[in-house]
Amino acid sequence: MKHRLTFFNLLVVALMLVAIASGCAPKAAETPAAPAATEKPAEAKAITENFVTWSYGVETIADNIKKLQEKYPNLTFVHKDYSWLDYHDTMVGAFTAGNSPELLYGSDHWLSEWAGAGWLEPLDEHCPNVKGYSSELAPYALEGMTYEGKVYGLSYYADTMDFVYNETLLKKAGFDKAPETWDDVYNMSKALKEQGVVDYPIIMAWSQKEGAFPEAFLSMVYSQHEGGNAMFDKDLNPVFNQEGSAAAQVLEWLRKVYEEGLFDPASLTTAEIDQVKSMQAGQHVFTIYPQYNMAEVNKPESGEYAGQFKIALMPGKSHATVGYVRFYAITPKVVEEGPEYVDAACKFLDYMGGKTDGQYIVVKRWAVENGLGFAQLPLFDDKDVIDAFGKWGDVPTIKQQATLARSKEGLTTWYGAWDVFARAEIHKAILGEQSAMDTLKNMADKWNELKAQG
Amino acid sequence: MAVTPASIAQPVRRKAKLWDRIYPYLSVTIPFLVIALFTIYPVLYAVRISFYQYILTKPKAHPFVGLKNFVEVVTSYYFRTSLTNTAIYALAAVVGVTLFGLVVGMLLNSKVRMANVLKVIILLPWAIPAVVAGLMWKWILNSDFGILSGILYSLGLIKQYIPFLADPTLAKISLVMAHIWKEGPLAAIFILAGLQLIPDELYEAARIDGGTGWRIFRMVTLPLLRPILLIVVVYETLTAILVFDLIYVLTGGGPGDSTSLISWFAYAEIFRNLNLGHGVALAIIIALITLVLILIYLRVIRIEETVS
Repeated sequence: MKHRLTFFNLLVVALMLVAIASGCAPKAAETPAAPAATEKPAEAKAITENFVTWSYGVETIADNIKKLQEKYPNLTFVHKDYSWLDYHDTMVGAFTAGNSPELLYGSDHWLSEWAGAGWLEPLDEHCPNVKGYSSELAPYALEGMTYEGKVYGLSYYADTMDFVYNETLLKKAGFDKAPETWDDVYNMSKALKEQGVVDYPIIMAWSQKEGAFPEAFLSMVYSQHEGGNAMFDKDLNPVFNQEGSAAAQVLEWLRKVYEEGLFDPASLTTAEIDQVKSMQAGQHVFTIYPQYNMAEVNKPESGEYAGQFKIALMPGKSHATVGYVRFYAITPKVVEEGPEYVDAACKFLDYMGGKTDGQYIVVKRWAVENGLGFAQLPLFDDKDVIDAFGKWGDVPTIKQQATLARSKEGLTTWYGAWDVFARAEIHKAILGEQSAMDTLKNMADKWNELKAQG
Repeated sequence: MAVTPASIAQPVRRKAKLWDRIYPYLSVTIPFLVIALFTIYPVLYAVRISFYQYILTKPKAHPFVGLKNFVEVVTSYYFRTSLTNTAIYALAAVVGVTLFGLVVGMLLNSKVRMANVLKVIILLPWAIPAVVAGLMWKWILNSDFGILSGILYSLGLIKQYIPFLADPTLAKISLVMAHIWKEGPLAAIFILAGLQLIPDELYEAARIDGGTGWRIFRMVTLPLLRPILLIVVVYETLTAILVFDLIYVLTGGGPGDSTSLISWFAYAEIFRNLNLGHGVALAIIIALITLVLILIYLRVIRIEETVS
């Protein structure tokens, strides 16, 4: 009996503790996590918002948040980051579980999926300054942040997929000029391999989990295609599966370089970080990656080949490439929390992706310190940016490639699902498990199936 | 009315009797509620979802579709591929783990020095979280700096580093290898426990009758180990069919769809294709497959017991 009473007492105490804890929880969440350095104005309500990003430049993000909080002492932004490779799946899990953060990073290839599902909130409906910023953006970037006529993002950075080569190694094989066509790349790769300069002249970061994989593939297709509609017609019907299409030519080329040992087979499991490191180590000569990596590979302490990595216009008929944008976004949670929270989110966006005292200070910081590209056109004339970019790249080529950049075609609610399907199919074509045309047919069938679902 | 000790004791006893009657129900109710909340409800809810169109990007439209999700999943190319991949993987993994367990278990059962220390050390891979094990293998198998290629290269067995995870066949073998490394130790400990239950007298008698190593193993050890081996096979079959974390870390289902196992396919349907209806229908199919396998194994075990 005594034992039972003890059990009962414990149960009662436990229930009381649970009740107290649950009663306290919302109050605790409303308390700002970290008081800012300066004194709070008496009238300002303390607001805490969560900001989720992928894991890149987290120290810079923390410092930017610190500076913003100093400017607005009543605002606290709690930063959380996830690996880029897991970011999409993690955020989808959070959205569907009703656990959205207020602020987050988004990307053009998920925009339709996320905005279509109602997981994001249009910025131009809530933040008055967004319209002004939009008019200063590169068209491909604005397009990448617009869904059904509404702007859902403020650019964190925007970049192009660039063709990069190691000048020193290329010269070793007797070539003074960068390749201009994919045939040039093939012939030079053959010479590089035959002369023993490298085992595999070409590497790509085409692990199926790598988000930049489809962008790199698409940039090859764009470069081999003249004009628009390389993938879909204006009604979003696939055209890439037609005989002799740019996509078919690219897949056949990829199969050829794989078969002849010019394309590192490890590319199919390589992530961007490993791709950059093997380029730095001089194991490969040609690659395609987002331009921001140029600052990293060419920094003086990066190794023997620092300064030797050059951007060439994307080889092919048109030299076009993919321009993409990653952006700051808000979720409906902010609106549900009330106008003060919306106002806080807009202040955050203004500071991070917009102007403070007439300057894009955070965007410029990313460009100067990390070499990230940008969509804010006035920054192309900024002296600090020009100086910084000049350290690792040829600014006229960068500019020329940027003007030839186009946003991804077919950015629809089903693009994300199709894009993942396409990755495995492209692998199979490269491995020779199926022909280029069968691959493109499968990709087109999947596209039509998803399109029918709507 | 006079107050007697008996009249005081009566309500107390009644109270105690009432409590004694309630207590068993109460003790069953609490765990039942917990199980209902965390197991029964989610399972029933999942079954319900499988009959509805549940595309995550359409949170407000979930029409009833009957068995459509099941039909679409079963008739898809990926189902056939992943089922074949899973069958190959499970077969290789179960055979590999069982053989590994048998060899290591027998070694530990022989009078090896430091056997007790080895028993603890051998369990380490099993105790390591699968994601960590996956990352370790990813490094071991890396095509640029992986130690496996490094060793083979320094021994002169290969001319250049091998991209183990980028070749469809090698990626499958690598996954199985990592699985055996991770799961083998537990099987070894199970089998060791089984071996220690076999009386020494049986071995002695076998030796007196002229039995040699292999013959003793075949006629004495193996028959007596059969119940344990069956448990190992049942457990490892389920583990192999449901493996997900190793694939997630090591190959992501690639290259192509060569390591896309059925559990990975379910994950991809939900988180990549954002089709919860398909994903859940697939999860139910996986559960049914494993249930059928368990029933077959249980039947085999029962037959074994009847025979013995």
